[in-house]
Amino acid sequence: MGHRRTARRTRGSRCVSLLLGAFVAAAAEGALAHALVMSSTPAANATLRAGALPIELRFNSRIDAKRSRVTLRAPGGAEAVLALKIDDSRAVLSGSAETRRAGDWAVVWQVLSLDGHVTRGEVPFRVEDATGK
Amino acid sequence: MTSLFDDFGFVAVVLQGFGFIAQSVLVGATFFAVLVVPRDTRDSVAIAARKASTVVEVAALATIVVALATALLTAGMLVATIQLAWRDVASAPFVLAAIAKVAAASVVGTRLRNPDAGPSARMTSIAAALALIAAAAADSHAIARLDHVAPLLIATYAHQLGAGLWLGGLPCLWLTLRDADPATARRIGRRYSTLAATGVALIVGAAFVFAFEYIGSFEGLYGTAYGAMAGVKTLLLVLLLMLGFANFRTLHGALPDRVAVPRVRRFVELEIAAGFAVLMAAASIASSSAAVDVVADRLSLPELAARMAPAVPAFESPARDALSPIVAPGTVTASRTAGDRAWSAYNHHVAGLVIVLIGIAALLRHRRRLRWAAHWPLLILLLGVFLLVRADPEIWPLGSVGPFESLGDPEVLQHRLFVLLIAAFAIVEWRVQLGRIASPRMSRVFPLLMVAGGALLLTHSHAVADAKEQLLIEMTHLPIAVLGVVAGSARWLEVSTSHGEGRVGREGRVARYVWPVALILVGLILLEYREA
Repeated sequence: MGHRRTARRTRGSRCVSLLLGAFVAAAAEGALAHALVMSSTPAANATLRAGALPIELRFNSRIDAKRSRVTLRAPGGAEAVLALKIDDSRAVLSGSAETRRAGDWAVVWQVLSLDGHVTRGEVPFRVEDATGK
Repeated sequence: MTSLFDDFGFVAVVLQGFGFIAQSVLVGATFFAVLVVPRDTRDSVAIAARKASTVVEVAALATIVVALATALLTAGMLVATIQLAWRDVASAPFVLAAIAKVAAASVVGTRLRNPDAGPSARMTSIAAALALIAAAAADSHAIARLDHVAPLLIATYAHQLGAGLWLGGLPCLWLTLRDADPATARRIGRRYSTLAATGVALIVGAAFVFAFEYIGSFEGLYGTAYGAMAGVKTLLLVLLLMLGFANFRTLHGALPDRVAVPRVRRFVELEIAAGFAVLMAAASIASSSAAVDVVADRLSLPELAARMAPAVPAFESPARDALSPIVAPGTVTASRTAGDRAWSAYNHHVAGLVIVLIGIAALLRHRRRLRWAAHWPLLILLLGVFLLVRADPEIWPLGSVGPFESLGDPEVLQHRLFVLLIAAFAIVEWRVQLGRIASPRMSRVFPLLMVAGGALLLTHSHAVADAKEQLLIEMTHLPIAVLGVVAGSARWLEVSTSHGEGRVGREGRVARYVWPVALILVGLILLEYREA
């Protein structure tokens, strides 16, 4: 139901929720944004050459790595789960992968921070082949 | 899965709000039972002790239920989204914190069940209540920070303890003021003042630490969701302090008990309403990123000023065809077209106009020649029908999807049920306004819902791709939330001081003008609504 519900929400649900907000109760919309990626490798919207890809996500809060997941989404949508390492600060998740195809890729993350909040997001980037396409 | 995650986010914030409320009331009732109610065998004091024990029991049960529900929800989310095994989730810090909360609440609930509990049970209960806050602090923002974890944990502990001592003690105070004889109630109220003042000091002291560590700058205050929510929470706290101060003066003043006690009780009711909103706002803040961490998507003053600058509202709706198509499930990207934005703005403007009319009618309803204005709740029905049609334009009569067919979509069903609920409440209020329902309880349904609506609006954020746009929209909604709480509280006060046939007490005469004005302001904000 990905975009279908999102589109409807931005158009209609807010208005219903405002009526409810003013008189009754707000409708269900919510987006947690607790853990934030402060910096990443690759950087968001970077363009890279195909090949080995070191991945590092630096968060603003300490992460429960055992209960977090980072995947690499290839052009076409296939996702591969990364084996994760975490540093001593417990705020940096890292791993490595290989990008063989040109196109739009993304590092997709879902983390549980130590305060029990689950957050997700993605870092999109582009991969070019040797010819720069 | 995206929508599941969005729904999880909303439910998690609401549950956290309920958790804060239950925990605060449990802590407050525990301290009230042990430190505020005097050790006295007189019947009038025994009433206060019994009431406090009942509140402890209910709050302990609520704390346990909410802690378990929150942990199960998060655990279930992790199992569903990243396929963790349940046994791997079982040892997560948030699960351990929930178990500690359940244990602490169980101890308080069982040890203080008996109003005549001995010194050992009373001290154990205080220790367990303090342990409950420790478990909550161990599950807070502070524990996940990279720096200054210890001072932040101490500040969080102090903040939550303060909320418990002050706001959490209010239900017990209210029951005492209602049920004990006026002289005893006043005596207990004075003893509670000390506890409340301690709570205020703890809350304010910790708030300075949070302002420094989590907000960091003036830009962080107005440019981020965290800062804006903290500002709203501060505003509500100032309102609460004013009410609390008024109560303090009344309790310690020269008014006779039979006058002072009912007045304080009415104001305590308002304090409870504002306290509920504050704790829901706290839950929203606890789920937001700290302002100091939000660097890229901060709002600047010129951006805010541009959005808040008055503009003539548009009352021209784009054609249904101008809306972006509802695309197939699984599509990732979403962009709002000019048609979508104009459609949304039109909805807001019409809603704003109707709410302004409701406020004006509510202001005029007491004038002899304008008694017909008491029919203003019918405008809510009208607005409900308008939104029923406009909220889901792909559904009949605007779209091609049949009305019954569409109910298979949970979100459409949710919209329909909410509108139905509004219609039911509007009809109740209509009959109240016409004097056909004299029940004081029914008269309080509408104000209660305004407060609940305002508080829930504080927990509410928008799924808009552009973070700045999302924040700008929220900036317009936060004043609506505060005004909703103010309007509901004022209407409640009017109803509370009513002597029948439209006659109200002194506070009620002021309140009867406050809530329609608050509604008019809500309408004006909606009339100014726009998106970029």
